[in-house]
Amino acid sequence: MIALVSVLVGVAIVGSLVWLLFGSQRIASAPPIGDLQIEKVLPVNCRHFPQISQLLSQEDTQFMRKRAPHHVVNKWRAERRGILRQYLSGLRQDFTHLQRLARLIAALSPEVRKRQEWEWVWLALQFHFSYRMAALKLALGSFSPEALAGLTEMIAGLTSELENRMALIAEHSPSRLRTDPGS
Amino acid sequence: MIQCTLARMGLSLFNSVYWAATALVEVVVFCFALRRRLFARLPFFTLYLGLVIADEAVLWSTYRLIGIRSRISFDVYWTSQALLVLSRAVVVYEICRALLLPFAGIWKLCRPLLVGLGLILVVSAAATARQTVHPISATTLMADRGLEITVAGVLLFGLIFCRYYGIEIPRYLAWIALGLGFYSAIQVANNTFLGNWLTHQHILIWEALRRASFNIATLFWLIALWKPLPATPLAPVLLPRGEYEILAPQVSGRLRELNARLLEIWK
Repeated sequence: MIALVSVLVGVAIVGSLVWLLFGSQRIASAPPIGDLQIEKVLPVNCRHFPQISQLLSQEDTQFMRKRAPHHVVNKWRAERRGILRQYLSGLRQDFTHLQRLARLIAALSPEVRKRQEWEWVWLALQFHFSYRMAALKLALGSFSPEALAGLTEMIAGLTSELENRMALIAEHSPSRLRTDPGS
Repeated sequence: MIQCTLARMGLSLFNSVYWAATALVEVVVFCFALRRRLFARLPFFTLYLGLVIADEAVLWSTYRLIGIRSRISFDVYWTSQALLVLSRAVVVYEICRALLLPFAGIWKLCRPLLVGLGLILVVSAAATARQTVHPISATTLMADRGLEITVAGVLLFGLIFCRYYGIEIPRYLAWIALGLGFYSAIQVANNTFLGNWLTHQHILIWEALRRASFNIATLFWLIALWKPLPATPLAPVLLPRGEYEILAPQVSGRLRELNARLLEIWK
């Protein structure tokens, strides 16, 4: 038993080291600070909400119920749920970008507050848990479009606030944070 | 003549050749470190490489003079090991410092945590070693294990910080850190496993594993230094003081709201 535990501990330490030193970033779109580009940090998925909102409109639902046969309505609902799932996943990506921005601000600040940093860690954990539960609810078909709209508005609001601040960060650290000339 | 000397030292011919080859590779790595001017970036690591070679020379001389099985050899061996493991701890701190120092706020946040973690692990290692009722060699192994856990723990903690804040680790530093962490990890497992069965045969296996893992670590360091070191990146220009105080509550408040809304959705 001791042999197994000691081998497992050794393997766990080496595995963690290799992952931390050579593993790619968890999120492909969250590059190291040195390669950060403004376009890749700011949330983008929440900007597609008008199209999503169209998709969620009650008029469409009523129209489909009245005109389409039952099996077509079911298929339409399933497809709509699939799109919503993708959109929710996009919102998570936006959240991750904001989180990345929060870390960037901390990394480029001469002073950071310990309490604030721990709070961000805690909030991220909470978000990921809540996201999983929301995705589960969506899979079960009991997800309200209004709630999704609220969520989107919130991310979009934060984006516009931060966009102004990003300019300041880029100004102070042009070599570390740049706009992509190709985009 | 050589056989006679080796017999007096208590070493087989294979062990002696292996030892000589190990020492040769260590010298090569040290020469590469000097050639790459590593001392300008990691002075303690360069010093550590020098210490490793000096340690081989001291042990070889001790074994040659009084034989491998004497009590003095035992003391010399473990004193040098203690010195080396403490040097590795300093090197790990140096690596964390080299990675995080340009990010002043993060380094100020991380440094006390690294030092605190290191102290806690050292104290717990000392407590564990004191409680060990085995003979002195088992106690030494437990103390050594505790110190290796400290090295690996502090390194992992520092790297988690780098990962969390997306701080890039230069390739050569990654290989150096991997060498240090790899050796410590194998030693933790080795000491835990073999500390419980201390027969002469097990000691030989323990020493073989220790040597082999150190050889692998040395090869990692050779890989790190094989190519010229990249130019030192420019330090990031930090935000003005007080900007964090303005931005942080905004982001925090929004993230909190976002969480609350998401919580409402699934509840």
